Amino acid sequence: MSKFTKAFLFASIIFAPFAANAVTVASWGGAYTESQKKAYADTYSDPGSIVFENYNGGLGETRAQVESGNVTWDLVDVLPADAITGCDEGLFEDISSEIASMGVPGPDGESIAEDMEANGLNYHSGWDCCVPQIFWTYVVFYDPDAFPGEKPDSMADFFDVEKFPGKRGIHTWADGIIQKALVADGVAPNAVPTVFANQTGAIDRAFEVMDKIKDHVVFWSAGSQPLELVKSGEVVMAVAYNGRVGAANLAEGENFEYIWEGQVLDQEYLCLTTGAPNREAALDFMMHASSPASQAEQAKYITYGPMRASGIPIIEANEPWGPGGVDIMPHMPNTPERLKVSIVNDPQWWSDNGAEISERYSAWMGN
Amino acid sequence: MPIGDMLFRSVDDSQINGVFPNTFNEYKKWDKEKDELPPEEVYKALFEELAYGEKIQIGRALTRMNYSKSGWKSLIKTTSREIKKAVKKDELPNNYKEFLITANEKWADPTFWYAMGQMVNDATPIYYWNALDRTYDQDQNVVMQDEKRRIYIKTWIKTLKISVYVTIFCLILGFPVAHLLANLPLRYSNLLMIFVLLPFWTSLLVRTTAWIVMLQQNGVINGILVWLGILSDDGRLQLVYNETGTLIAMTQILLPFMILPLYSVMRVIPKSHMRAAQNLGAKPATAFWKVYLPQTIPGMSAGGLLVFVLAIGYFITPELVGGKDGKLIGHWIAYHLKTTLNWGLCAALGAILLGVMLIFYWLYNKIVGIDNIKLG
Repeated sequence: MSKFTKAFLFASIIFAPFAANAVTVASWGGAYTESQKKAYADTYSDPGSIVFENYNGGLGETRAQVESGNVTWDLVDVLPADAITGCDEGLFEDISSEIASMGVPGPDGESIAEDMEANGLNYHSGWDCCVPQIFWTYVVFYDPDAFPGEKPDSMADFFDVEKFPGKRGIHTWADGIIQKALVADGVAPNAVPTVFANQTGAIDRAFEVMDKIKDHVVFWSAGSQPLELVKSGEVVMAVAYNGRVGAANLAEGENFEYIWEGQVLDQEYLCLTTGAPNREAALDFMMHASSPASQAEQAKYITYGPMRASGIPIIEANEPWGPGGVDIMPHMPNTPERLKVSIVNDPQWWSDNGAEISERYSAWMGN
Repeated sequence: MPIGDMLFRSVDDSQINGVFPNTFNEYKKWDKEKDELPPEEVYKALFEELAYGEKIQIGRALTRMNYSKSGWKSLIKTTSREIKKAVKKDELPNNYKEFLITANEKWADPTFWYAMGQMVNDATPIYYWNALDRTYDQDQNVVMQDEKRRIYIKTWIKTLKISVYVTIFCLILGFPVAHLLANLPLRYSNLLMIFVLLPFWTSLLVRTTAWIVMLQQNGVINGILVWLGILSDDGRLQLVYNETGTLIAMTQILLPFMILPLYSVMRVIPKSHMRAAQNLGAKPATAFWKVYLPQTIPGMSAGGLLVFVLAIGYFITPELVGGKDGKLIGHWIAYHLKTTLNWGLCAALGAILLGVMLIFYWLYNKIVGIDNIKLG
């Protein structure tokens, strides 16, 4: 046996017990996971017991782990459509009774579900297996220096290249932009999900609106790209994740403006994998991570909004809440007045129609 | 083993057949000419299998059903809720068809029933047809996919085209470099070798991002061209977020895979061969063409095959620099693996990719001969 193998075996004997007790959380990495570490793990009773691992979203790895019976991720941070599918497929464990009994209540005793409903969300099967995290959003932003005169302030402006010439940065997948397109066409933001679900031809209509800017689009595929595109002047406006824009404004001294109208609010969940090796510890951590206090704490480190309504008053009462004495509410996507002009994504509809629309969007891009 | 598993998955539909065996059996008896909607027995079997089936198995079947037509998921879910309610109250319907249609009107929509025809067999070629933009019509005939959704054939062609171009560009650029490396005195060639290897060791993402900085409209290359007066300020070239960018970045990234095998082959070609040829009266060009080039074929083939194989499955670089043209077949395999969980389609795409490779390998063997390959 070589020295190296010996050392390796020795190390695995020493470290294995610790590793086995740690709750492994799979999350998206970058600034987002940093904020989770600071807000959830560092405030937890036993910070050392939480280990974060990066992944790229989707349920592929989770399904592979559950199917092979070799589960290493206790908790997975997922988008709502994946929460639904994962829960339906049994990749995530149904813990609805545990969430009801162990969940940290709000100041007036609100349950997790009541808190989410207060934020305008409707029950879906993901709620049985997962606890809420944050609201994030697809928002349009621009550099005010690029518009010396009148500045764009609506979705109609974003889709109007004659009034505001210049390229637009949009993502290479469908979900944010096709909903914004309907807003530009005059649909009230709050009504967009219903229009998609109930009106035949709504999707065609959205694609027709997008045709108007198609020749003026630079497509991006990674979350950091839209910032780079706007900064370098490659495009004059872009759709981006609001957390990225917030970070640029707060930490990098940029002065980007948001167009909140037509922002697409989406949810984020933390789910318990079926057969998680540290189920009990993971459950306990889930409840901590979904408490109103933890959710408010997270806003200190990234400009994503708490999904539990009781998280917001904590931030408002303690402003300046942001880093270096900055007020954080101006950067939060889910303030009451912004909610009025927002599209709240309907994950159920997307889990039904996402694949088809995604193919159609790609066909549209490629033509 | 993994390849076998992949091939198996690409035709396997047994999971859903284990969930709805009776429904599918009854379904097969439905005479579509005669009745617009399936007979009562189908509705009854479906009712029972949803009422007493295992929740998780049904959940997995839902994911599968949604591939054949969007909307299955919520259709089954809302129906299941109604069925569970009825069973709980012990109120079994007299007419199952009526019950289901009341629960959700989509059960009166024949297109859902036609789509069910795609899943009623344990083994199915449907994933392969999907991977080629085809689907079944109501009578299980293979037809083209709705025009707005046709993407795979285009993507296959684009992937092949880019792979071939990248291979050719790598050969054109790599050949002189390898020749130089092989023929320079050792101390120069070592230095030059470092220039080849340094980017090779640099992270793929770093190199890709560097290309974005170089190629974008306010980037280095456009900046220099405008400064030199070759381009006007409004006429800046779109070099990135399109196919051009993909080709440039992929060629640079894959270039070492061409240079290294070429170099190792060229190094052992004795210099005396060229001299001998010229001594015997050949012009330098003829000597090169007739004597030198044939001896480098093993290196060219090894490099070419290596670059081509890598290029055809490439995924992250085109995704980042390709913009709208950046979705090659690797993107779709990853997308279905992770997002839609349509592993059947994934496996079919993978199997076709494998098939394409084997065809190229076979062609190569026919033309050049597989013994003629040499990595060093």
